[in-house]
Amino acid sequence: MIFTSSYLLSLTTFIYLGAAVLYLIAWVFRVEKVGLLGTFATGIGFLAQTAGILLRWVESYQMGYGHAPLSNLYESLVFFSWMTILVYLFLEFRLKNRVIGVFSTPFASLAMAYASFSPNVHDEIQPLIPALKSNWLIAHVVTCFLGYSSFAIACGMGLMYLMKSKDYTTGLLSRLPSQKNLDELMHQTIFFGFLWLSVGIITGAVWANEAWGTYWSWDPKETWSLITWFVYAIALHARFVRGWMGKKIAYLSIIGFISVIFTYFGVNFLLSGLHSYGAPR
Amino acid sequence: MLLLFAVNLVACTINRFPIISQLYKKDTSLQAVERLLKMPHSFVLSLPSAASFSKEDVNKILPAPVLSYDVENGRLFFKESGKWSYWGVYILHTSILIILAGALIGAIWGFKGQIMLAEGEKVSEAVERFTGKDFPLGFELYCEKFFVDFYDTGAPKEFRSDLVIFESGKEVLRKSIRVNEPLSYHGLTFYQSSYDAMPLITFTITSADGKKKVLSLPVSEKISWQEAGLSVGVMQFLPNIHGGQAAHVWIGDDGFPPEAIWFLKGAEKEFRRGNNIYKASITDVEQRYMTGLQVKKDPGVWVVWFGCAGMLLGFGVVFWVAHRRIWLWVGERNGRPTLILAGRTNKNNMQFERFFDEMEQKIRTMTGVKI
Repeated sequence: MIFTSSYLLSLTTFIYLGAAVLYLIAWVFRVEKVGLLGTFATGIGFLAQTAGILLRWVESYQMGYGHAPLSNLYESLVFFSWMTILVYLFLEFRLKNRVIGVFSTPFASLAMAYASFSPNVHDEIQPLIPALKSNWLIAHVVTCFLGYSSFAIACGMGLMYLMKSKDYTTGLLSRLPSQKNLDELMHQTIFFGFLWLSVGIITGAVWANEAWGTYWSWDPKETWSLITWFVYAIALHARFVRGWMGKKIAYLSIIGFISVIFTYFGVNFLLSGLHSYGAPR
Repeated sequence: MLLLFAVNLVACTINRFPIISQLYKKDTSLQAVERLLKMPHSFVLSLPSAASFSKEDVNKILPAPVLSYDVENGRLFFKESGKWSYWGVYILHTSILIILAGALIGAIWGFKGQIMLAEGEKVSEAVERFTGKDFPLGFELYCEKFFVDFYDTGAPKEFRSDLVIFESGKEVLRKSIRVNEPLSYHGLTFYQSSYDAMPLITFTITSADGKKKVLSLPVSEKISWQEAGLSVGVMQFLPNIHGGQAAHVWIGDDGFPPEAIWFLKGAEKEFRRGNNIYKASITDVEQRYMTGLQVKKDPGVWVVWFGCAGMLLGFGVVFWVAHRRIWLWVGERNGRPTLILAGRTNKNNMQFERFFDEMEQKIRTMTGVKI
C-alpha cells in the first residue's frame, strides 16, 4: 500500500506538519538539533512528495490517460505545496536560517491538508480534456506556481517582519533574521515571484493563442492574475521610486498574497470562466 | 483604461528620466578617505609596509581598466560594473508599451470570426464575431470529416476536424486540427472551437403503384421527389424518444395542404395526398457533424511576443545586473601604511556582501595579515 501516490501524498501532509512543529520548537526553545531534525523532516517529506507526484504521473499512464499531474485542483495544490518547499529549502540552504521554516512549511502543510481532506477536492486521476492537451500545460503551471510559492514565502517573511517591529537583542524575536536582511529578502522574493508570475502569464497567453486563438480574453483568472501582478508591481515600484521599506512592503506582501489566494481559489469557487478545470466539483 | 495605463506609464517614465540620467552620468569615482569608511561595506587593514601592496596586487583585486587618483596620502583605485543597468527599467517599460501596441494593431487590423462547417461542405467566407458580417477568406475551406471521442467517464477526449484548403479549385493544403493544433494559411488561423451534431435521415417512400424512393434528408432542408411531385423535409429530429429516434417530417408542394407527421425510426406509416396513398418510414439515421471553427487574423501577435521577450530581458537586467562600485585606497593613515577597501551596490546586497567578503579574504591572504 505504501507505494501508491495517494498514500505517499497524504503522508506528506503529516511530515510537513511535523517539520513545522520541529522548526517551531527549535525556534522557541533554541534547540539547534531539533531545527536540524526539522530540515531533515522537510527533506524526507519533499522526497516522499516528489515520489508521490512522479508515481501519480506513472499511474495516469497505467490508467491510459498519460498526463502530467497538473490538471485539477488536487494536483495543483500538491504542486503548490511541493514548489513552496522547494523554494523554502533553497532559501534555508542559502541563508542558513531555519526560522523562516516556521513561517513557510505551514503553507505547504495546509495546502496538502486541504487537498487531502476537503470533501470538495477530488483526488482521482482524471483524463485530460482536449483544451489541456498541450505541452504548454507544464510550462504554464510550473511558472505560475513558482510565482505563487514565492509569494507565499514572501508573505511569511512579511509576517515575520511585522512581528519583529524592532531589532531585539534577546528573546524569541532576536533569532529572526535582522530587519535589514528580512526586508531585502522579502524584496528579492517578491521580485523573484513577480518574474515568474510574468512568465506564467506570458506562457498562458502563448498557449491561449494556440488553443483559443486569442492571447488575452479577460477571463476571470486572467483578470485576477493581472490584478495580482499590479499589486506586486506597486510594491516593487514603491520601493524603487518612493524608497518604501520594511513595514509598508511587509503589508503589501501580505495584501499581494491575499490577491494570489483569490486568483487561485476565489476565481475557481466564485467565478466561472475558461480556467474552470481547477474548480471543485 | 489600458490607454490611461499606457499614458501613465509613459508620463512616469519620462518624469523619472532626469533622475535615471543623473544616476547614470554621476561620477562617484573620487571619494575622500573618510567617506570610504562610511560606505555600506568597508574594511581597514594595517599593512606591514607601504610597499607590501603593489600596483600588481591592485590589479589582482581590481582587474583593469581601473580609475586611479591621488587622494590624501595615498592612491585611490576605483572600479565599477553594471552602471548601464539603470536603463534596464526602460527596456521593461518600453516592452509593456510594445505589448499594448501589439494589442492595438490586432484590434485595428486583425479579424476574429466564426465558421460552422458541415462535413463534406466547403466555405469561402467567415462570419465576423461582433458585426455578424461575412468576411471573404480568399480561398475555400473544406471539412472532410469531424471526429469526437469520449473517455469512459463521459468527458470529451478529442475533437478533430480534417480540413482541406482549395485555391481556385485545386487542393493546396490538408491538415487535421485539434483544440491545441490550429491550422494557419495566408495569415488566417483556424481553431477547433465547437461542434454540432446533425443527423442525416434516410427516408423511404413507396407510392400505391409500387414506386419507391429513398431520400437523404438533412434537418431543415426540403428535398423533392420530382416524379411524384412531392417535397419532404425534416422539421425536428429527436435522437431518443420512447427508446428510439424520431423525426417530425413535413410533406407538401403537391398542390394539397402541407402536413407534418411524426415518424419513429423503423415504424412504417401511411399517409394520403389527394387520391394517392403513400407508405413511408425512416430506414436509417446517420450522425453527421458540423465543426465550429474560430478564425483569426492578428498581425499584432508577433509584436506582442516581441514585447514579452523584451519584458523578460528587462526583468533580467533590473533583477540581476547591479551597479557595483569598489574603491581601494592604499596609503598612509595616522602615520601607518593602511589599506581600505570599500564598496556599495544598488541591489542584491547580500550577494554583494559575499562578493565583498571574498575580496577581503583575498587581500588578507595576499598581504599575509591574519584576521
